[in-house]
Amino acid sequence: MSLPATIDPATLHIGDSLPEWAIDINATRIVAGAIATRDFMPVHHDRTYANTQGAPDVFMNILSDTAYTSRYLTDWAGPNAMVRKVAIRLGVPVFPGHTLTYTGEIAALDIGDSETTVEITLRAVNELGEHVGGTATLSLPNVATS
Amino acid sequence: MYRAQPMTHDLDQQLEALVGKPISDSGATFAPDAVNQPMIRHWAAAFEDANPIHVDASAAAESRFGEIVAPPLMLQTWTMATPKITGIAERGGSPVEGSRAKVLTLLDEAGFVGTLASNSEFEIMRYLRLGDVVSATTVLESVSPPKQTRLGSGYFVTWITTYTVASETADEETVGLQRFRIFKFKPGAAS
Repeated sequence: MSLPATIDPATLHIGDSLPEWAIDINATRIVAGAIATRDFMPVHHDRTYANTQGAPDVFMNILSDTAYTSRYLTDWAGPNAMVRKVAIRLGVPVFPGHTLTYTGEIAALDIGDSETTVEITLRAVNELGEHVGGTATLSLPNVATS
Repeated sequence: MYRAQPMTHDLDQQLEALVGKPISDSGATFAPDAVNQPMIRHWAAAFEDANPIHVDASAAAESRFGEIVAPPLMLQTWTMATPKITGIAERGGSPVEGSRAKVLTLLDEAGFVGTLASNSEFEIMRYLRLGDVVSATTVLESVSPPKQTRLGSGYFVTWITTYTVASETADEETVGLQRFRIFKFKPGAAS
């Protein structure tokens, strides 16, 4: 395939919102994410075990959270965005049946010679409250104008 | 308000003594496999991440990266231990026998057997390419004072991992840094 478009940083402004993105979470997503990140902690794939730890069901692992966070950023920005920093903190857990909804906002822009650094604040919420809160920094190539 | 128990003072001192040091005596952790397309494809499928720079050679060649690169926040996955499935639940979810970080062993033995990740912070210097062999060196950054949370009493444990790739030319190249924080707690001991 040919490369999809990447967002032109000249079109961005501080305070702009990223598009909201919602994903329905089920046990398959949680288990698939845990195993793809090589996290074999039983709380992420074995409900009986999770119950012994006081959780009502399996819950999403943090490596899946960073994965979905980077997907949220690059789905918006495009394939030439480079993820420089991501810092997340976890709040409430994500269980099967939850919908995880990401929102984000541009907090800062630093326009360099060849690329623009974009700082983003983001959060992901589910039925229980805030699951992920954090910040991210992307670099986007400047689009040459003549 | 936290009230010290007889054992806790000793524990706090033992924890403090580990801060600033590598979390295990076994040195750097080397990825069992070089960065490879099958694991990237599995990861991209699990998260339905359609970014073509991770799986499509021709699209990736057009990108700023010039070739297929691994998902940046997959960095932590390459050096995760290959698990021994037998007995994993009995080990409290620890993927391998022995060779646990000393801070975790100390807390487990003191009854703080619950583990919950709370923070993950990545700084990415460059994206990994197919064939890169990643190694990770982890230092204990801090252990919090004892905390009471709705999960129970416990400690926030923070470590910093430096991810490097061996270079043909000279020194190891640092490709990323990660600060990772977990809460180690006594399940059900909330007050």
